[in-house]
Amino acid sequence: MAKDSIVTIYINEKEYKVKEGQTIMQAADSHGFKIPRLCYHPKLSIEGACRVCIVEVEGMKTYAASCACPVAEGMRIHTNTKELRRARRDIVELILDNHPKDCHTCERDGNCELQRLAYAMGIRHRHFEGERKHYEKDLSSESVIRDPDKCILCGRCVRICSEVQKVNALGYAHRGFKTVVMPAFNAPFSESVCSNCGQCINVCPTASFVEKNYTQELFEKLDNPDIIKIAQIAPSVRAAIGEAFGLPPGRAMHGELAASLRKLGFDYVFDTQFSADLTIMEEASEFLERLQGNGPLPMITSCSSAWMKYVEHFHPDFLPNISTCKSPMAMMGALTKTYFPGKIKKKPEEIFSVAIMCCTAKKYEAARPELMVDGIRSVDLVVTTREIAWMIKSAGIDLVNIKPQDFDAPLGISSGAGAIFGATGGVMEAAIRTAYELYTGETLLDIELASLRGFHGIKEAEIVIDGKPIRVAVAHGLGNAQELLAIAKKDPKRYHFIEVMGCPGGCIGGGGQPYATANSIPLDEECLAKRAEALYAIDREKTIRRSHDNPDIQRLYREYLGRPLGQLSHKLLHTHYGAKLPRGIIVGGGE
Amino acid sequence: MKNPLEIIKVKRAEAINRILGRGYFSTKRVYVGMATCEIAAGSADVMEIFQTAIKNGLVDVYLSQKGCAGRCNLEPTVEVIEEGKIPVKYGLVDAGRAHEIIERHLKKGEVIEEWVIQ
Amino acid sequence: MGDSVTTNQPIEKRPRKQVEYNIILCSGPSCLHNKSSELYTEIVKQLEAFNCQSKVEIILSGCLGMCARGPIMVINPGYILYGDVGVNDVHDIIKGHIVDKTPFSQKVIHEDHLFNRFYRVFGDVKFFGKQMRIALRNCGIIDPEKIDDYLSVRGYEALAKVLTDYSPAEVIHQIQDSGLRGRGGAGFPTGLKWKLTADAEGEVKYVICNADEGDPGAFMDRSAIEGDPHSIIEGMLIGGYAVGAKKGFLYIRAEYPLAIKRLEKALTAAREQNFLGDNILGSNYSFDIEIRLGAGAFVCGEETALIQSIEGERGMPRPRPPYPSVRGLFDKPTLTNNVETWANIPVIILDGAKWFSTIGTKSSKGTKVFAVAGNVENTGLVEVPMGTTLREIIFDICGGIPGNRKFKALQTGGPSGGCLTEDSLDTQVDYESLAKAGSFMGSGGMIVMDDTTCMVNVARYFLEFTQNESCGKCTPCREGTKRMLEILTRITDGRGEVKDIEKLERLGAMISKASLCGLGRSAPNPVLSTLSKFRNEYEDHILHKKCTTGSCQAMLTYSINDQCIGCGACIRVCPVNAIKGIKRNPHTIDSELCIKCGECMKVCKFRAIDRV
Repeated sequence: MAKDSIVTIYINEKEYKVKEGQTIMQAADSHGFKIPRLCYHPKLSIEGACRVCIVEVEGMKTYAASCACPVAEGMRIHTNTKELRRARRDIVELILDNHPKDCHTCERDGNCELQRLAYAMGIRHRHFEGERKHYEKDLSSESVIRDPDKCILCGRCVRICSEVQKVNALGYAHRGFKTVVMPAFNAPFSESVCSNCGQCINVCPTASFVEKNYTQELFEKLDNPDIIKIAQIAPSVRAAIGEAFGLPPGRAMHGELAASLRKLGFDYVFDTQFSADLTIMEEASEFLERLQGNGPLPMITSCSSAWMKYVEHFHPDFLPNISTCKSPMAMMGALTKTYFPGKIKKKPEEIFSVAIMCCTAKKYEAARPELMVDGIRSVDLVVTTREIAWMIKSAGIDLVNIKPQDFDAPLGISSGAGAIFGATGGVMEAAIRTAYELYTGETLLDIELASLRGFHGIKEAEIVIDGKPIRVAVAHGLGNAQELLAIAKKDPKRYHFIEVMGCPGGCIGGGGQPYATANSIPLDEECLAKRAEALYAIDREKTIRRSHDNPDIQRLYREYLGRPLGQLSHKLLHTHYGAKLPRGIIVGGGE
Repeated sequence: MKNPLEIIKVKRAEAINRILGRGYFSTKRVYVGMATCEIAAGSADVMEIFQTAIKNGLVDVYLSQKGCAGRCNLEPTVEVIEEGKIPVKYGLVDAGRAHEIIERHLKKGEVIEEWVIQ
Repeated sequence: MGDSVTTNQPIEKRPRKQVEYNIILCSGPSCLHNKSSELYTEIVKQLEAFNCQSKVEIILSGCLGMCARGPIMVINPGYILYGDVGVNDVHDIIKGHIVDKTPFSQKVIHEDHLFNRFYRVFGDVKFFGKQMRIALRNCGIIDPEKIDDYLSVRGYEALAKVLTDYSPAEVIHQIQDSGLRGRGGAGFPTGLKWKLTADAEGEVKYVICNADEGDPGAFMDRSAIEGDPHSIIEGMLIGGYAVGAKKGFLYIRAEYPLAIKRLEKALTAAREQNFLGDNILGSNYSFDIEIRLGAGAFVCGEETALIQSIEGERGMPRPRPPYPSVRGLFDKPTLTNNVETWANIPVIILDGAKWFSTIGTKSSKGTKVFAVAGNVENTGLVEVPMGTTLREIIFDICGGIPGNRKFKALQTGGPSGGCLTEDSLDTQVDYESLAKAGSFMGSGGMIVMDDTTCMVNVARYFLEFTQNESCGKCTPCREGTKRMLEILTRITDGRGEVKDIEKLERLGAMISKASLCGLGRSAPNPVLSTLSKFRNEYEDHILHKKCTTGSCQAMLTYSINDQCIGCGACIRVCPVNAIKGIKRNPHTIDSELCIKCGECMKVCKFRAIDRV
């Protein structure tokens, strides 16, 4: 079957030429139709479960699911008959009938695919109401709350977790009306292999998966005049938060965020991009040490918290390869409880350190005991892009039109290298910029590494440093990471340095980013590309584009830390990881 | 070299020889239904009674199990087959009937008409 | 099963003739056409003429499978077959065979079919008379745990024949020519399924036997495996050869431990004899079979769900295309047939596709096994040629309805099927006719219901089953059947609403057309078919809050009539103290308190309790 040959089909009696091998849905989409759909997601396998996208095909006894059924020569399709409209309506009503009636107080109110669909199908009254399922919420995880009552069993979470992330933390249990999505053996999420990446939240059409919400706790802290409230903002938050305010993706809003957070009550607003620069200083130095024979290669980045938990469950054999550097968030946290209180003559206990992250897994990371410094948590609370957007809205702050402000010193200035951390390949690009110079003493001139940008699952590059070829690889999404590790396992000498980001596209596609709007789909690659471009633009516009050129970084080492990998660095900026139970099972490929 | 059809003929001949060796040419062949349904109806006990009888000296009988022929409401079933006679099919054979079949039919050749499946 | 019978009671109601011979006269459609009825008269006449009517019983049988040589008659013992029997031959046959004890050799035919052995043992039993045992040919006549027994009845000869004489394409031709269709229920042409798998691209292919029998009351597959496991293995071997597979999976539910044990034993024996393994019987063909146990999910009988289950996943159907014949187990082309289909294969090879295709109707060839249960005199496993009428199965083979009750309905196809009424009893068993009558062939469940059965309750029962067994993947089946079940429960509880019938029809129509797999698509059938045929019962329940059969407890009212002498027996047994009254005066039942348990009725010796 040649994929580019053309077949003639008829949709609602009109003739169309479409590509053979397409599904009815794809063919219809390209000719001005938009068949209603629910469980379908272009990045995931075809489930055919919700049956919302049914169409009539002449000669077929039953309706065809347009997402699954391929076109065929001469096929006569009807997408909008009276009977179909009624069937679709009834199907959506059946989903609604087994779904809580709490739209007004639901976290997805106004941004729920089921709600939108029910409205569009014209469901204005109920015919078939009856029993609703009820299961307890799983509140055990630091990051992700699972509420089976809101689940409509579209299976997107199961598919993204198994197909894209290859974590397989979720599956179906029970039959019939009692069917429910849960981790194996109904283990609490916190005791499962869940990496906390939050991609289930991103793809969930309803509020069956949401992050653990800390907005009320944060409001209370912000109201407390006796503590110093410090915020740090991850690179990717600025690239996406505009979407939560109705702006098209791709507008970087760090100035607006800094101004808004001050209005919200933060005393200091720092930039995680600063600590990203710091991470690069430490990580590049660590890499060079390992390259010189003082540690196993390939070295693998550790900034992604979902990735780290995944490694601990699935690949503990690679733990020696993992960089000991803390993530930028944790480094910033450590500085806000050590270096910075010293500067303002406060005790660490008086500081409340908040991280605003594009990520749900960071909530889990912040609670890791091994990240404590002298017995206190370095990051007290993590809120996602979505949570901070709600807070800004509820506090009546006009993020979109506010006059931008700068971040606070001394943890607010960053290089362009710190900005691109948010996109897949960015950490590697930033690290190479610095490692090259640290090693050779010369400045790397061609600093934009195109081969490490974009959304290929696994990207490879070779950089010659002082005549020595250094082979690096980048993976984003845990499924790609699993494949990359398999390659590295088979051929241990193939790579020197590997970057992994747990989420598709890197942090810009994190589990804490704004929900897809009515006209987009979750994890749309175009949207991700625009968010990435916002970060690359920040980098381009900076005069300082290498972490080691950041004057405040230089000052930090001069005044406080001493040198990268020094004694104080080791105490504040490095950590360790350990194998975790339950052990993850690698399904398909990988080994 | 023999082809598969030739091989199967040899195998069949060997199989039949083994069956004959187990006493197939006895005057009476007794088949006891031993599918799940038959066992549930009590055929395992019936089988044991026949086995014990043979162990205790009942001769000229070839005893075998068999699957379910489909007469669910008359299980357990037992067939007694003699060359040249219409096979006798007994239904609802419990322990008591099994003993009587041994005493009257197998030992004395009397067909117990009222238990015969028609 | 009924109450156990004491040792001295006769097991059959009819008096038994003590005979030395029986004559089986084929009265299949073809032989009837060839005037076998005239033969019957002639046989009776000749028997009387020789004065031996007392030692001979004449039995009319169903098709004996030798239509080309008909009319056929058989004389037992010995199962001597006479073919082309004309009226004028009867004298010679009776005189020769019965009077002179020498078979009349001119008319003896030596044509021997695999299934004839069964009739050598069971040919005189009325229950089997109208049956034709092809798939179950060895069930009940050989020891299923001994490969020697199977070999002695030409076991594995079909495999050897295929390996010696046929190319894979020729085998597929044979199966196509036979007209065999899938016995799992849907009736897809088996040969075409084989061809699609054979034609699919790929080095590695798989063959699957679907033994995940799950219909309530159905046990055809279990019996076939427990009675004759090797014929299924042989069928799979032939299928594997035809489509180019080296590996087969036998998917059987774990609730069938004896069947599994016998299969394992059979596989081991077959390996020892080189029927499985490498270079089978000295050929280039290598094949082996692995048993996979299902955990008892009904939906795993659905082909794509079964494949997922073998793969180690939760058994949930997936959309087709891709069809499993192109991309199935482990994404390889896969041929799945059910137990009964596989059991037919060796017969088609040995007795010939042409012969096989003479049995049955125009569109449906061969036989079909049914597990007949419910309100019939003889429950049991029945294998009949396609084209046999439902009336013949229920009344001639299974002896009709017990207790002088009236036949009310027949459910075929299990929870996927529909109810058929009296009007449909002359429907012939084949895929199209049953569908036309409003039911479904299904895998072979057949439940007979008499006039004490409440059809709304029956529909509710089946729907409860499918709702519990829905895999939960697609909305119509998961949510829709639940709502239908709620409506039906409401109706049988006496809380039905006027709009409920319309809602059932609306949901039913949508679920049948919009569900992902066959389970969902067929789930509304029991409701829709009872609605169309017994609508008045639904209306009685809803409008008059009345269940005419008295099956729906909630709708019954107990009251005490004037026969009551006030003995107080009912007061003592009533668990909720709903009965009041003074001794020796008529009592009354408080219907508000009454829980309708019926205990009062059981103890009343004066028929003073009414239930309406």
